[in-house]
Amino acid sequence: MSTTPVRGRRRDDDMIPVKLYGLPRGTVTFFTTLATLFAIFTLLPIAWLVINSTKNQANLFESFGFWFAGPFEFFHNFSSLFHNLDGDGVYFQWLGNTAFYAVVGGLGATALSALAGYGFACFDFRGSRALFSLAMAALLVPITAITLPLYLVYAKAGLINSIWGMLLPSVVSPVGVYLMRTYVAASVPRELIDAARIDGAGEVRIFLTIALPLMVPGLMTVLLLAIVGIWNNYFLPLLIFSQNKLYPLTVGLGLWTQRAQNSGDASMFPALVVGGLVTVVPLVGLFLMVQRYWRGGLLLGSIAN
Amino acid sequence: MNPSRTARPGPAPAGAESAARQALPRPQIGRTRRGRREGVHGASFTVPFMVALVLFMIVPLAYAIYNSLYTSRLIGGTSFSGLDNYRQTLGSGDFWSGVVRTVVYAVIQIPVMLVIAFFFATIFDLGLVKGGRVFRTIFFIPFAVPAVVGAVMWSFILEPQFGPVTRLAKALGFGEVNFFSSNLVLPSIIVIVIWEWTGYNMVILYTALKSVPRDVVESAILDGAPLHRIILGVKLPMVRPAIVMLLFLNTIGALQLFTEPLILSYFQNSAISINWTPALYIYNTAVGGGQYNLAAAAAVVLGLVIVAISTASLLFRRSKGEVS
Repeated sequence: MSTTPVRGRRRDDDMIPVKLYGLPRGTVTFFTTLATLFAIFTLLPIAWLVINSTKNQANLFESFGFWFAGPFEFFHNFSSLFHNLDGDGVYFQWLGNTAFYAVVGGLGATALSALAGYGFACFDFRGSRALFSLAMAALLVPITAITLPLYLVYAKAGLINSIWGMLLPSVVSPVGVYLMRTYVAASVPRELIDAARIDGAGEVRIFLTIALPLMVPGLMTVLLLAIVGIWNNYFLPLLIFSQNKLYPLTVGLGLWTQRAQNSGDASMFPALVVGGLVTVVPLVGLFLMVQRYWRGGLLLGSIAN
Repeated sequence: MNPSRTARPGPAPAGAESAARQALPRPQIGRTRRGRREGVHGASFTVPFMVALVLFMIVPLAYAIYNSLYTSRLIGGTSFSGLDNYRQTLGSGDFWSGVVRTVVYAVIQIPVMLVIAFFFATIFDLGLVKGGRVFRTIFFIPFAVPAVVGAVMWSFILEPQFGPVTRLAKALGFGEVNFFSSNLVLPSIIVIVIWEWTGYNMVILYTALKSVPRDVVESAILDGAPLHRIILGVKLPMVRPAIVMLLFLNTIGALQLFTEPLILSYFQNSAISINWTPALYIYNTAVGGGQYNLAAAAAVVLGLVIVAISTASLLFRRSKGEVS
């Protein structure tokens, strides 16, 4: 065991030294143990997913789930995603669909939230408070309650089995509007906007060249929230898509689960497990890369006011 | 330079207005009436969002209410049936048992999760854990795992015959535990959802705790307050708005419980009835039963139940002076 004191991290510089609390010896060890136990609980399913993506069908059921067994079949399982299940490479079609819905919908939600948040934060116009209240009331409407109504409208408007049916509602993000309004109010100085107006800059130019660059950290958080929301969305695509080739991963994997169980076609299970792993990896990777945007005060700003 | 700008400082009214505005801590509070042109610009920034909101939220809701007043029959077509669908929904034991089940679920799951999240947020905030940064990252990972995949993983892990946790329970002398039995399926789902959401709640609480001013805590230490008093008496009240907001958001989420029970029902049909939660009731009434009008009524009722709970909690908080 090293006795070197842990160096204070940059962001923890202002922390009150632990010894000031006058705690009994071993407190840190005790709490670190508790945190480790919860970390094990958190990582256990992920570990299960990684371990079992290497097993063949028999070992997936017969061997102990939290340890490796038998022949290393990861690449075989992985390659099965490319063929023979629901047509050639349909899994990667689903992966592509998911990424497409998440990125396009997320960018749309971010753009609309940025515009509306800026409009609500920096302008006083007739009815602005009423409109903002309406947008915030939308926060209360549960997604589950809106999904079936959307389906009914789509049935009339011909948006069933249309990618627009997935993309268009995804751009409505009341949380994003709220976050952006809070963020703009806190980080875009009104004096700067007024100065630009005096210099004769148009409103669109002020927004694009002055406000927008200052809004980037807030935009990133809204974008991430929107991407995760769409990537994980299950109910809406489940209801509006009946064509296999339009499914996102969530619906596709749900279908595989159902089929593997109900049809007794157990050979689908290894593909299901490795498919789950490939679904999880991009988002977890994205998170680890951009996690500083989750650490900022923005999420707090979103809920503390 | 554009001399026609009305907001230009200098001449008395505009200058006074801009000075008054600068004196305000929050720009959007206490706004004064400004030029008409600016009003038009401000409104036009919000137009794209408002149009999307109307088209994809308000119109569908209105159309669902309209649909819920009609009934389609194979013979006779669609006819106006007034509040019949609501009568049927509200009189349905299946619908209400689902509502009661989700309320029970929410009443257990949310407090347990928030206590765990607050506990870890606190010890990370105090620096009582070595490598807190690493732990915070690990705890947050499940947020990035789609609920469908999370439910599939947990279903395998808890599966009655080959699930590793089931085997461990047997090896430890608990006998044949069936996590999908009618007694244990709700606790199992609670565990899954706690796994999914604790990290997210913890990060928000951690951020809130970080913003508690250092001198407040220091003076409490100087007063000789023991640690548990600093946590419960000083820090907890200061992050109360964050906790209340999380309570609120988690409640809205909990009452929509859908994905986890649906995936679990694929693994064990008998564990989850088709009307197990209100959201499953809506889904199965519409897709399974083809009774779209009845499902629309159920969706409206579920929406109203959630809005009522949310509004009641907001009013309650307002009456206690926690929200302005």
